[in-house]
Amino acid sequence: MNLAVTGFIKALRSELLVARYTLGAWLVVLLPALFISLQFLVVRISETGAAARDSLLGQGDFDAMIANNAYGHFVDGLSTGLTLLGLLLVAQAAYSFSTDRDSGALRHLLIRCSSRRAVVLAKLVHLHVLALLAILLLIATSYLVSGNLWEFGPIVEDGFELISEEEIAAEIKLGLQLALIPLPAAIAFGVLVSVVANSATQAVVSALGLSLALDVFKGMLGEYAYYLYATFQPSLLDQSYLQDVSRLVRGYSDVLVDERFLQLNQWVPFPALLLLLVASLLIVQKRKV
Amino acid sequence: MSSESPALSVTGLYKKYDQFEVLKGLDLTLRPGAIHGLVGLNGSGKTTTLECILGLQDFDRGEISVLGHSPGNLHSAQGKIVAIFDSPSLNPNLTVRQSLRQALLLCEGTTRKPEELEAQLGITRFSNFKIRNLSLGNKRRASIAHALLADPEIILLDEPFNGLDAGGVDEVLALIKSLNQQRGTSFLLSSHQLPYLEDICSHVAILHDGQIAANDEKSRLLGSVQSTIRIQTDDNARAAEIIGQQAGLSLQANSNSDMLLVSSNQVGPADINRQLVEQGLAVSEIVAERASLDSLFRRITQGTNP
Repeated sequence: MNLAVTGFIKALRSELLVARYTLGAWLVVLLPALFISLQFLVVRISETGAAARDSLLGQGDFDAMIANNAYGHFVDGLSTGLTLLGLLLVAQAAYSFSTDRDSGALRHLLIRCSSRRAVVLAKLVHLHVLALLAILLLIATSYLVSGNLWEFGPIVEDGFELISEEEIAAEIKLGLQLALIPLPAAIAFGVLVSVVANSATQAVVSALGLSLALDVFKGMLGEYAYYLYATFQPSLLDQSYLQDVSRLVRGYSDVLVDERFLQLNQWVPFPALLLLLVASLLIVQKRKV
Repeated sequence: MSSESPALSVTGLYKKYDQFEVLKGLDLTLRPGAIHGLVGLNGSGKTTTLECILGLQDFDRGEISVLGHSPGNLHSAQGKIVAIFDSPSLNPNLTVRQSLRQALLLCEGTTRKPEELEAQLGITRFSNFKIRNLSLGNKRRASIAHALLADPEIILLDEPFNGLDAGGVDEVLALIKSLNQQRGTSFLLSSHQLPYLEDICSHVAILHDGQIAANDEKSRLLGSVQSTIRIQTDDNARAAEIIGQQAGLSLQANSNSDMLLVSSNQVGPADINRQLVEQGLAVSEIVAERASLDSLFRRITQGTNP
């Protein structure tokens, strides 16, 4: 087998072994699912309290009815989980290369089996493996916990089915797909910061700081924000399509879907990923390790 | 790679940090099977030299080849080249055993086993300890085990004795000797611990002012150094006069009224003692200092040629 490929595989196996034994990697996978489970419980408890109050007052309205539909909560769980996962992945990506350089562990990889570029690619792939595991766990947890606390069903008002379950599922699928597309670019951003930074602490603080700053300032960029991968990610100041899906599956008819936004969501993150990756691969060649 | 080719060759290596030129045309050759010591003052560029050789940092000019591989391409030697650094350089979140398992992934085809190396280096009882919880000495032992798992042909060590107790130093010295004798492993050791290097090295290079000031087989280098005889009498001025007239003896510049330092090629301390006594001087001290790596190093770095 080609030496470059062998080096990449060795570096990847090494990354996965380290991930298996380190807390940071486990947190990336488990924390979003744990966090949304807790969120569901808190929401359910507060809803139960509100329902008891309304029952005592003899009230009951459409909002209360749709609040019992699990689809809305399922999407909220995905949205919160992906927001947290995005930040965790950026932090983990920023930590990945820089901490190995700080500890000197990177040197053994470079001297014995892999080129610098192979190591960066292995880190990127290993972070995607973590992301994939975290997403699968997040979807499963969100579905199971929301399904246990509420009931999945179509949106019905006065006996009329506003939105069928098939339509809801199709919207959730699209929303999830669009929310996941920018994730590789976010990981690549973390890796780039990791390669550039002088220490692991600096890398993590810078990557998280820049991600949060982008989140805050994207609203001020107007049209230009559409050319930023971060605009399409579920985040604290969420503009992603998943946020619209959350309202759609609750039966709100005032959601305006911007087709251009959806198109840009599908295409903008790829060149961003490519640019960030190429920059990382170029810079890593020149860094002292 | 033929047995005639050098295991490591550095030619005309230049490296500058901003305006400070650390390496000014350094040349170094390591023969296969040699244990080559690299010594120098603090900041003389030993670690920089090793890092350039290992491709961990760029250099301005020069050529480097390690087992026929360029510094940026050492990974293609697939574990035949390894390094042990001044700091432990292992993932602090892994246990010793996990760290050694990771090393196994980096060097397929090795015949060595983690348990065997843990036992050899006396860290078996720490195998489930996280690296970050180990003492400096045990971290160093773990990093040596990590390197040796690769079954390398050449090992570069930067300050390998730092943080080790006397027993640890003996273990490392014994390990280097046995690897060199049984497997023919070549070593380049950079260290301040001159007595240890003198004990173990077959060759020594002294790095001074950005260049290799002396580089040869240890026995030849030490053979070229004149021995020094330290003398104290009741009249050092008269003693200096007598010694000055004697062929084969020369008074060193750093002699003073309390102590005479005499360089000698053929005349031994017994002969000098006899002459001084015959001249009526009372000799209170006469000590022959044998030629050592330490004395050679001091002479070179203090500006006196051997």
